Amino acid sequence: MASREEAGAPKLSSSVKLVLLGEAAVGKSSLVLRFVNDDFQENKEPTIGAAFLTQKCNLPTRTIKFEIWDTAGQERFASLAPMYYRNAQTALVVYDITKPTSLTKAKHWVAELQRQASPGIVIALVGNKLDLASSNAISANADDVDDAENEDRRAIPTSEAKAYAEEESLLFYETSAKTGENVQAVFEAIANAIPESTLKPRGGAGTGMGGGARSSANEGHSHAVNMADATRAAKEGCAC
Amino acid sequence: MLTSLLAKASSLLSEPPTPPPSSRPTKTVLFRTHFRLPDTQSPLQEITCELTLPSGEHYTGKLYLSESFLCFSPNPPTATSAAAATAGVGFTLPLCAVRRVERLHSRSYMFALAITTWHGVGAGAGAAGGKEERITLQFVGMRNACEAFCDRLKKGLRAQMAEVRNLRTLVESCYSEFLLGEGRGGGGEEGGLGEGGKRRERVVPDAGLGLLFKYPGDARKLRDKSKMRLWAEYLRENGRNVTLVRQPTFHKLIRVGLPNRLRGEMWELSSGSIYLRLFSPTLYTDILAEYEGRHSHSIEEIEKDLNRSLPEYRGFQNDEGIGRLRRVLGAYSWRNEEVGYCQAMNIVTAALLIYMSEAQAFFLLSTLCDRLVPGYYSKTMYGTLLDQRVFESLVEKTMPILWEHLVKSDVQLSVVSLPWFLSLYINSMPLVFAFRVLDVFFLEGPKVLFQIGLAILRINGEELLDATDDGAFISILKGYFGRLDESAHPRSDNEKLRAVTRFQELMVVAFKEFAGITQSTIMEQRARHKDAVLSSIESFAKRTQLRNLGPESKRLTPPELSVVYDRYYGVLYERQARLQNIAEELEKIAAARKSSSAGLPGAGGAGAGNGERGRVGLGPTPGETGMDYDCFREFMTGIAPWAVATPHSSAASPAAGAVAEGGGGFFGKNLLNPWGAGNPEPADHDFLKRLFRRWDTGMRGQLTLANVVTGLASVVGGKRDIMGMINYWFELYDDDGDGKVDREGILRITEALLFVTRRGYGGRGDEFGGGGGSGEADGEFDEGRVLSAVSGFTRMCFEYADPDRPQRDHHHHNSSKPRTFNEKLAPPDTSEEEEEDLLGPLDPADIDRPPPTPSEKANLALDPSNPLHITLPTFRMVVLADEVLERFFERAFAETFTLLRHDGSAPVLQPTTAGPNQRPGIAVQTTAAARVLPVLPASPAIVTGTAKGLRGVLDNMVNDSIHRLDVPGCE
Repeated sequence: MASREEAGAPKLSSSVKLVLLGEAAVGKSSLVLRFVNDDFQENKEPTIGAAFLTQKCNLPTRTIKFEIWDTAGQERFASLAPMYYRNAQTALVVYDITKPTSLTKAKHWVAELQRQASPGIVIALVGNKLDLASSNAISANADDVDDAENEDRRAIPTSEAKAYAEEESLLFYETSAKTGENVQAVFEAIANAIPESTLKPRGGAGTGMGGGARSSANEGHSHAVNMADATRAAKEGCAC
Repeated sequence: MLTSLLAKASSLLSEPPTPPPSSRPTKTVLFRTHFRLPDTQSPLQEITCELTLPSGEHYTGKLYLSESFLCFSPNPPTATSAAAATAGVGFTLPLCAVRRVERLHSRSYMFALAITTWHGVGAGAGAAGGKEERITLQFVGMRNACEAFCDRLKKGLRAQMAEVRNLRTLVESCYSEFLLGEGRGGGGEEGGLGEGGKRRERVVPDAGLGLLFKYPGDARKLRDKSKMRLWAEYLRENGRNVTLVRQPTFHKLIRVGLPNRLRGEMWELSSGSIYLRLFSPTLYTDILAEYEGRHSHSIEEIEKDLNRSLPEYRGFQNDEGIGRLRRVLGAYSWRNEEVGYCQAMNIVTAALLIYMSEAQAFFLLSTLCDRLVPGYYSKTMYGTLLDQRVFESLVEKTMPILWEHLVKSDVQLSVVSLPWFLSLYINSMPLVFAFRVLDVFFLEGPKVLFQIGLAILRINGEELLDATDDGAFISILKGYFGRLDESAHPRSDNEKLRAVTRFQELMVVAFKEFAGITQSTIMEQRARHKDAVLSSIESFAKRTQLRNLGPESKRLTPPELSVVYDRYYGVLYERQARLQNIAEELEKIAAARKSSSAGLPGAGGAGAGNGERGRVGLGPTPGETGMDYDCFREFMTGIAPWAVATPHSSAASPAAGAVAEGGGGFFGKNLLNPWGAGNPEPADHDFLKRLFRRWDTGMRGQLTLANVVTGLASVVGGKRDIMGMINYWFELYDDDGDGKVDREGILRITEALLFVTRRGYGGRGDEFGGGGGSGEADGEFDEGRVLSAVSGFTRMCFEYADPDRPQRDHHHHNSSKPRTFNEKLAPPDTSEEEEEDLLGPLDPADIDRPPPTPSEKANLALDPSNPLHITLPTFRMVVLADEVLERFFERAFAETFTLLRHDGSAPVLQPTTAGPNQRPGIAVQTTAAARVLPVLPASPAIVTGTAKGLRGVLDNMVNDSIHRLDVPGCE
């Protein structure tokens, strides 16, 4: 519920650039679709280049507007990625818990981000397709093992990915875009993990080199709430 | 203001072109592009000529003859002519579609031909009907030029007779054939197909999934019927499919949108893919048959996306459509494995399949990837990135205010425009409009993508100037695409103006306002930005690849890795290009010998091979999988001096081959030098082979970058580890991994030691973290000491070798001989502690091993029927017993590899002919040689301090031992 917009709540509001990276068909776009529209599509067209969506996330003290860059996963699109993760404050690196290669690829992305993206970028490692793991589907009834439908297709143990995430100080979640499990939680965790100091007031200062060109007309309500924070954030914003 | 901007824009666009000469397309390429001909065609003959069509129109232009085509165009295909982009007026007539050529005797001094095409009425019928159905060509030129052209034409016609069957198959698969055949009720066409009786039962040609699942859009709203009528009329008058003559109406009809059922055929006709299909009628089905059931990475990726390609179209919600898509994408991935499959190809191909058959889509996809948007879908996608750069620069030139705004707001244009280009607008606009863009794109070429893109920005310019981030930018354009069917001027009083849709406005702006954007504009811009784009791709690829090389690579420093990477790909690609050039050169020589006349069709003319190869950014080339042994040798010359072959001139000793075989012959410094003119010739030696095999962990006979990095890391990476290095060498020669190196192996190690040290010996400095050496002020050993150490090594190996048979009992002496041996020979400055360390790894069994008696020693060394071997502990002991060898394994060997120079730059190749200066360790220190007591008997040679001397002695020694071993039955 926290992410549903509550009109008129005069809270500090900031926009955050988030980029999704990960191997093809791990469910990046589906995670976004679940988060933004609370929907799921079995056959989603592959993302060409990148898709752009926005969604707000309301936290008790502030509202975060995610500007989500959902990138193409196929290997050869990797060289385009810097275009999308540039200036990103946070990244979701997604893998498929049923595909070991996807975790390897995810690790490559983490390394790339740690070296090439904005310093201090908040990275979350997300294992998607949790619905395909049986520990989830059938917990009590162990007799169902034969049932092909419930066959455990998990190939990456939670502990393995978690250990890696801890080692690299990443947020870590396992999700299912299909059932919606943990999807909201990931974005909330990210929203909470972004240091106050890197937050910028909404309206594009984050991506605007020349802050002067910013039009604040359509974001009128966001600025004057917490003066101290707003001015600090604005300074940071321009410094980026 | 707009007009002034426009004026400025066009003045900028007409800047003198400055592409590097190499990037300028050749005449052959222009010819093919202009007439949409396959790569097999080249202009053999050309002549000025006047064309008279059956309808009475006249055009003056040039007539061309290629191997299989007769082409006419009023605008000659030049790089600068805007017409190079459009198929223009004219025809591209396959010779097999020519039914009859008659010489006309209208005017005696004129040379004229009348051509009856496949679709023309049969002989004489035209005259009978009172209407000329022949195309008349009046040549303007010298009589002998006309004769030459006709001769060649006659030859061509005869040669192409064989293609008539293919032509018939092709023609029957064309919807236009069905359309007109029906229209004429089968009467007048009798002669056309020669099988008139069958016409009624003829099935409708496959005009795509649309025939089964409806074409997208409302046919009424698209005025499909009336468009069809207009086309039928045009085709009837101007020929159809292969015999179509392009007149201005042709272009107009395409601009207003093709009718559904003819769309596929017109796409393949205007792009020229129909000619590929004509000559390879079974290629598509052959590929499918050949690769049926085969798996590949591409196939896997295709499978993932089959259900995700235009999923909202009914044709792709069932097995029929999915099956077609699977087969076309799969077949293309096999035909062009370097491209394989790229996301977005699924969307483009799905779109094609709505309007055309599988085979048609397959060839059109090929034409698209190979010619229209080269590099878009390649592994590095350099074409996509390049065109984005070109697009940006066009926006900057034509809309400077918007561009400035983008820069100021830090909006990256390509995040918006890249998907437009990559999926040819199919993903961005509603399908019906995207297809209209495609209609023009296939006819006029890639410039259309730019014109449409610029027009989109121009039309939305005002709004875009208010957007300050990517998000706002994207949503404005998304909104615009959603309203393309609405009126562009909803509030206008003028009813006609109100009726103009936004899409129509877009087309007008694109092709009127940006008419200045021609194919040559695009070509120039591509040439201008190509290097920068490739470089940025390459630096990205390098960064990524180096980071993902695995843990072993961490033993090399980043600058070292960088050098290895550059050298690896440098050698790989340079070598590839060189070998290709040599092959071409040899081919040319061979061809020149064969016949001095013919214009060598295809060869050299294409030029595609030269400029388009040899860069990482362009993606993998066909043959590239890794570094083979020869390539590895070449690689090594850049990082290890001993890997450079000793020049033949100085290798006076005939036995030199035993140590360093000369490699594949020196062709001299010409084009045919397999190592490249000016490059050092790599040595070829057993040691290099072993190193190669050791690094080739996949046993593929090829080294990947990861193999090379891991291999180098194990030798030069990290801390110096003498035990590790000794083990490494031992393993190199322990062929079967049984922990034993036999007599042959011992000799080979000896050879390798000499091979590696023949260009000098000793540390070159402290850059590898050495320098902790105690008291080795000069840091080098002279040649004599090295030689004596190596010979001592061999001797001791044989002395302490074990017999291969089970040990005999009577050898059981109690002895501490090995220990004394060590004490005696260990370097004097070795401390107590170190000595213990060194002895540590020795196998106790070996320490207890009895000392060989003198007679036994002789036997073991001499008698080949008495196989022997050394074990790792013995090998260690022998190495550690000698100061020189110890140093060699401790660091000197590792230091023979030069990844970085002192100043951190990559080592520069030294020509092999540099002579004695290249051997500082030996030549400079000749005087020092006198200080050392040579242990070897053959000392005179050593004192001279030349390569010849050293090698001579070693050769003798090696030969000696071989010789001794060869003596049979020496009891």
